[in-house]
This record gives sequence, C-alpha cells and structure tokens, in this order.
Amino acid sequence: MNTSVLVLGGRWTGIKAASELADLGYGVILVDDSTKLGGEASFDHFVSSNGDELSTLLDRVTAHEAVETLLSTKFVSLIGAAGGFRVRLQQDDKVFERSVGAVIVALEAETVSLAGKYGLHRAGNVLSQSEIEAVLAAAGEDKQLPGDGFKDIVFVVGLHEEENPLVMERTIRSALEIQVSDGCQATVLVNNVKLAEDGLEGLYKRSRKTGVLYFKLREQPQITQNGSNLRINFFDAVLHHNVELTPDVLVVEEAFRPHRAATCVAQVLGIDTDSEGFLQPDNVHFFPVRTNREGIYVIGSARRPCNLMHGWTDVENTVLEIRQLLGKDKKLVPAEKVKVHRGKCTLCLTCVRVCPHNAISWDNRAVISTVACQGCGICASECPMDAIQIVDYSDDQIEAQILTSMDKEVDGPRIIVFCCQNSAYEAAQMAQVFQMSAPAPNAFQTIKVPCAGKVDVDHILKAFQAGAEGVLVLACHKDNCKSQQGNTFAGWRVEDAKRMLSEVGLEEERLGFATIASNMPVEFVRITGEMEHKLNQLGPSRIRRQAAA
Amino acid sequence: MQKGSKDNLEDQRSKRVLVIGGGIAGLTVAWELARLDVDVDLVEKSSFLGGYAIQFCCKATDECQKCGACSVEKRLLEVIQEPKITVHLKSELKRVSRNGRFPYTISRRPLCVDPQRCTNCGLCLEKCPAPEAIVRGYSKNNVPLYAVDETKCLYFRDESCRLCQELCPEKAIHLDQKPHHVSQEADAVVVASGFQPFDPVNRPRYGYGINRNLITALDLERMLREKGEVLRLSDNKAPERIAFIQCVGSRDHQLRHGFCSQVCCGYAMRMAEAIHYRHPEIKVAIFYIDIQNCGKSFSGFYERCKDNIRFVRFMPGDIFQGEGDQLVLCYANEQDGHAIREAFDLVVLSVGIMPGASNVGLADMLKIDLDKHGFLASADSLDDTCTSQAGIFLAGTAHGPKDIADSMAQAGRAAGKVAQYLQTIDGSNKQEDFTG
Repeated sequence: MNTSVLVLGGRWTGIKAASELADLGYGVILVDDSTKLGGEASFDHFVSSNGDELSTLLDRVTAHEAVETLLSTKFVSLIGAAGGFRVRLQQDDKVFERSVGAVIVALEAETVSLAGKYGLHRAGNVLSQSEIEAVLAAAGEDKQLPGDGFKDIVFVVGLHEEENPLVMERTIRSALEIQVSDGCQATVLVNNVKLAEDGLEGLYKRSRKTGVLYFKLREQPQITQNGSNLRINFFDAVLHHNVELTPDVLVVEEAFRPHRAATCVAQVLGIDTDSEGFLQPDNVHFFPVRTNREGIYVIGSARRPCNLMHGWTDVENTVLEIRQLLGKDKKLVPAEKVKVHRGKCTLCLTCVRVCPHNAISWDNRAVISTVACQGCGICASECPMDAIQIVDYSDDQIEAQILTSMDKEVDGPRIIVFCCQNSAYEAAQMAQVFQMSAPAPNAFQTIKVPCAGKVDVDHILKAFQAGAEGVLVLACHKDNCKSQQGNTFAGWRVEDAKRMLSEVGLEEERLGFATIASNMPVEFVRITGEMEHKLNQLGPSRIRRQAAA
Repeated sequence: MQKGSKDNLEDQRSKRVLVIGGGIAGLTVAWELARLDVDVDLVEKSSFLGGYAIQFCCKATDECQKCGACSVEKRLLEVIQEPKITVHLKSELKRVSRNGRFPYTISRRPLCVDPQRCTNCGLCLEKCPAPEAIVRGYSKNNVPLYAVDETKCLYFRDESCRLCQELCPEKAIHLDQKPHHVSQEADAVVVASGFQPFDPVNRPRYGYGINRNLITALDLERMLREKGEVLRLSDNKAPERIAFIQCVGSRDHQLRHGFCSQVCCGYAMRMAEAIHYRHPEIKVAIFYIDIQNCGKSFSGFYERCKDNIRFVRFMPGDIFQGEGDQLVLCYANEQDGHAIREAFDLVVLSVGIMPGASNVGLADMLKIDLDKHGFLASADSLDDTCTSQAGIFLAGTAHGPKDIADSMAQAGRAAGKVAQYLQTIDGSNKQEDFTG
C-alpha cells in the first residue's frame, strides 16, 4: 500500500495537513495551481491575527523533506483505489504521474463581490468588503480614514442571499473599526444577523454599544447610485416609517463560492458536490471529512465556508482517517467483502457504473478493490449475470434465510422485512428491546442486508413464492444512505417487483417500501403494523391459497 | 505492509486516557483513541451513555435533514462493542493530581443492575411502586437498559422495598451495592462533560411549569423520539397550532448569556419540518430574532422551510393563558407595529446550550480556565481543544455551544491532539512505520 498523500490546495488548511502528515512520517505531495503557498486572502480574522504561527508553519512545510511542493501545477486525473491511486499532474505543458495512497482536497473557497446583485457598479464610493478592509488596514493603528468623503458608511449584507457567520464577522469588524474612528458613523443593513460562531454575539453587542447602527430588512433596499450621490431607501419595521440614507460610501458584502476548480476536481475524483457547488455531499455518514470514496477526504472551506480554526479541525480528523487507512498495523489485509465470479462476468460494466464508491475497475473481468469497497451490494443486485456475491449476504444465504423463516409458526399474516443494517435493522431491534407493540411477535421476520441496495427483485419474489403474505423493504432516508444511491435502487426494484406481482395476479399492496432511521423504533412498529393491517384486509395471497388447495 | 516496530506498539498499549463525559463528544474521543490503540476510561455521571444527543429524535421528512441524531446511535454502538474502552457509569471524578501522569479517583454510585444478567425484560420498571425509581435508557445500545435512581428508590430511602430485586427473573438486580471509589492513573485527560439546557424557570415571564402545553424543545425531542408524534400534554391530542420561541436563554444579555447557542434555529426548523411532513394540517410558527444557519446549503433549506413554516421576527415577552389549555402570544405586526394576540395549542421554548453544571468544579480540579460565560476555555485561538494545562484537552459543548456534527469533529481533533501528546511524553517523537 502506498503511504504518501496528495494534498490539493496550498492554502492554510492544505499546508497544515501537509505539515501534520509529514510529521507522522507520511510522504506528502502538496499541489497548488498558483505560484505561491498560502494564498493572498487575509479576510479570515484567524489568518490575519495569527501571522507568526502561520509563517512558522509555512517555513516548516517548505523545509520538510517529506513534503514535495508542486506549484503552478494542475490536477489532471486520478485512477485506482485507496492505497494505490495513480495521479496525473500538469506543470506548464508537461504531464507527469505520481502514486499516492490517499487524497486530501483542500481547495479553499473564494469570495466574490455581490455589488452586481444589488444593482451597483464599482466606484470610488461603492466598495467591496475586501476593499474596505484594505482601506482600514492602510489607515493603520491611529485610524486615519481618508478625508471628509469617508464619514458616513453603510454596509449591505445578507440581503441578496443568506450569508453566514464568516461574512457577518467581516462586516461587524469593519463597521466597528469605522465607528471608533473620529467622526465616522457605520450603519449596517442586514437581514438575519448570523452569529452562530463562538464570540460573535459579543462582538455584535460591542459594535452596537460603540454606536454602529443596524437596520434589519426583509429585502434589498432601493439604492440609487448616481456618481458621487448614493441614496438608499427602505421601510424600517421598528420605526414603522421609510428611512432615507445618503452615505459617503457604500460597502457591499462578499459571498463565499466554491473554489473555481471544485466542480472539475469533483468530477475527476468521482465525488459529489452539494447544491451550492461545495465538495462532499452533506451525508451524516461522512461526518466530518469523508466522501463517498475511501481514501479521498475534503477539508476546510472546500466543503463549506469556514474559518481557519474549523479548517484545522478538519485536518486533524483527516489525519485520524489516514492513520486508519494507511497507518501501521491497520487493515493489514482488508476483509474481503465481495467476490466476483470470473466465469460469469461478461464485462458489461454495469457494476462499474452503479458503484457509488468507485471501487470497481476491470482487467478482462470486473475487479473490485477490497480497500475501496464498502460492501453495500448495489453492484451484486444490479449485475445481470449474478456474477457478484457479497460475503455473508450472498443470494444463496439470503434465500436460505427466507426459507428458514417459513418454518416458524406464525399467528398472523407472514411478513418478510428486508432491513438495511444501518437503519431499519437497528430500529427493529430497538422496537424489540423496548417491547413496543409490534404485529404478532413472530409474524414478521427481519432479514438484514448491508444496504437496501442489496435487495434483489429475486429476493422479493422468492419471499412471496416461499409463502410470505407481504414483503417490506426498509431503507435509509434520502440523502442518508451510506452508499448514496442504495435507497434509490431499492425503491426502483420494489416498483419493478410490484409490476411483476400484478402480472401474476398478486396485489401490489402486499409489497411496501419505506424509509426509516436507526433511532425510529416507533416508526418501525407503525410501518409493520400498517402492513399487517393491510394484509389482514386482503386475506391470504393467491400463492398461499393455491398451496393450501 | 508489516507491523510497526515492536517497542512502539508496546508504548502505545501502555497508554491510558481518562475521558470525562459520555455524550457524543466523549464517545467520539473514546472511540477515536481506541482506534489508535489507546486504552480509555470513559467516566459518565448519569446511568446512561449518550448524553443529551441520544435523546434527540430523527427529524427526517422523506429526506434526511442532517441533524446527526442517528450518528449518535451508531457511535454509541461502536463504543459499547469496543474492548479498549472501559465505561464507568454513575461515576464522577473526585480528585486528580499530576506527577507526569494524572493519578485520579472517581466515585461510583451503585449501578444495581448487572448488565451481563439483565435481559431487558422490563419487569422491574413495570412493578416498581416508587415513581421514576427505575429508569429506562433512551436507546437499545444503553447497557444496562434499566437503572435504579437511588434518590427515588424506597430501598435507598429506608430499605423498605426490595421488590425489583425479588422479582427479577435473572437475579440481575443488587440493591445492596455500595458506592465506592476507583483510583487509576491516566496519561492524558479529555474533558467532554457537556452542557445543560437552559432552564426556562429562569425566564419567569414565560410561566414554564404552569401550563402543561408550554414545553421545551428538549421535551419535544423526547416526545417525537418516544411517541413518533407531537401531542399536547394537557389532553394527549394533536395540536393544531404550534409556536416555537427561539433564543430562550441564549443571546440574553440580561441573564449575562451573551452568546448564541448555535443549534436552536437548526433543531427548531428541522423539527417543524418533520412535524409538517407528518401532519401538514398542523400550522407551525417560529418567533425569532435572527435565523441562524444549520448544515450545508442552508439557503435552499431555509427557502423550503418558508413554504411550510411561518417565520415571525419578534420575541414575545409574555405568554398568557388562553381559552381551554391554549397559550396566547402577543407580538407586533411587522408592517404597522400593531399588537397581535394569537392563540396556540402548543408552545415550544427553544432553550439554549448553557455551561455544564460541573464546569466550575472541573476547572478547579484540573486547574483549567473558564471563559466569561462559564464554558471551559481553550488556550489557543486556532485550536479549541487545547487548555492551559499540557495533557488536558477539551471536546464538545463543555467548551461552548456546538451541534452534533461540530462536537464530533472537535472530538476527533481532541483525540488527534491526545495521540500527539502521548508521543511527546515518551520523549521520542516516533513516526508511523511503513514498508511503503
């Protein structure tokens, strides 16, 4: 297994990750497409107030023999699986390859001015947040702001989109600095003041005490920008009348956007982005830094706007994950979770397409990486040749379980419940431990599957054929599937199976699909209870009636 | 790959870490350390692991709302199955000193229920004559599932009752156990002692405790978890109109709580969405000062919420008794400022995260600092797990308000920091060994 790590992004979280890993003895390749490590932006209060520590860190990383820093370098492609990724990088027109065991994406968010979104264009009296920060920095310790044209300053923030505590903190800090300057008045027009970050409520309170005025609006004010004349009109809900402001300077917020390369990198890596384009889907199973792919981690503001402190928390969590993946005496031989029958595989590549973890490649037959595979079984159920079997959950084993369950005497309609081990199975056990009033205690039989995506149409039909009156497939909620699509596949298969049932004259209602979480035993009881009720109304199934006859 | 050098492994094996608090942060630190081959003593004050987070409900609609409650369930399961973690329930740290390591003493109250023998039959709870003297855990992963509350148990009062012990078919209950002390040494300490929810009795104008249909968000979490639906406590009927009041105890400068609890907007919106999804006929309003973000892609979530939930930017000062068991809120119309009186069937107080009751004692015992609000202070602006004492680390809400995801992330960082510290006290900065 290769134990070096590729870090994409040479800003402060990337540098920190490189440093921590190198100190533990991992080789690090630190890649950035700019010409300098660390980047320019100092908007982050944590960055600007920790200059010494950061420059020490930078020196250490630059000098560390285990860190290879590649600047002006683009990330081109990646193949392979965790522990053995092959990465192609490009410097000018030279493309070269490196092998790494893991990849950390530390492509930090960028800021964009929202002036256009407020119908404003840049001018001497319309500044972006970065520009006012530059002015304030230039004003120095004695807070000498440039002249008379800089007395009455209005900030607009959070009125185009919901911003976040980072944006808010920048605004409050600048407003406060202006307010303490001689003869200056700072006014902030804002929707929701975002303070869900340590220390921000105190800062906000201090700025108000110092005299910064806050008006809370529901929507953007009317702003007229006419040369040196700025006029702002809005209705204030506290004063209950219209307010007009004619500031010397208007400061427009800057929003955080994903790194310009984020979408492209996500595609190349085979990981997802969220609806705003930040990397890593918001899935509780991936808290905090994991992705759908083993060995690929997303940290810092690559995954959501965050300050340096939280970015470095991500770094430590990634280091823990990497130690588990590549570290000493861990996973010496990862347990085999899946077997490919090479005689049956026809290389249709269905498995490659459906695998949510990019664990499957091929030589002349499908090959599944034991490290990358999460054992969900989506591939096994989709394989048209039944060439893939999941260890402990093979088709034969599941069918044997179905048949065994039929031997049990029941005093109600017999229900087979396929339970995802991550949610429904836990909920079922919880209902049992809490002795919640389920349908007749031995009328339903749970069959544990690694993911609802492992439930085949064949298994469902087998259950009916063997004598079940009803079948339930219980999956995790949407966006909560550890294998992302497992619940979706399960839903589709249930729909398919329903069609087949009706073709053979069985009522579709005998088959149900529902989503549930591990901590919902009550919901489990409700779902199974409803199915029992439905089956009692329907009476014995045709198959049972025929068998009885 | 081959195993690392032998002495390195033995060094790791001899290390023990004391984790104070068995909530989601403590569980995560313990589990991450165990994964690094470190032995952990996990000390929990109450009878059950999981803290407050294990009491929270799933807030999914047809899709997951990313509250993280189910990940607590999973982490708890991982911890109870992990042999490197020794769990001490009903235990509190009494003394700790420092001699290079941390010799400490914990006091253990009697557990009374033998986890090896208990089969979770629940007969003890069913037959116990004293109210709430036998309590049940929140999750099947609470082991043992039942516990004796010695402040309510008649045996502990005057030895007048041994019914549960006599009835238990497994002989799993031993009421005559005595409190005792356990002394140990740890190489490092992690404080993950958690928070306490704001007690709305301290905001008397709300009149919490008078009308039963005025509940806290924590009450609602437990209700949704246990019953799967929302009911008025006065008549066990589904409410038609629910109001959430945000910032109860948080951002309250009168009470000197000059901080945002960071979680209340998230849980209120998520629970409101979950209620709306299951019962679209229930009308939900949220009274707030400023809506705070939760989770990723917040804009989209907030927009969806606005379709189903009424957001009112006003903090009702008083809650009045209405007709029947209704509660009346008084607030100003945002357009003209006129007062509106509106009746609700259920009012939920979104209580905030307050410093844990044991913070002062722990800070004193461990010689670490409190911040001005009473949370345990970190000593490094870039690392909120560091305290002013080498070898003592922070995780979770002991340090300040955090949601489940942030608590877990900070706990992961604390575990990493502990591992680093354990290597430095060896005097040799050993590196991982590979064959490459």
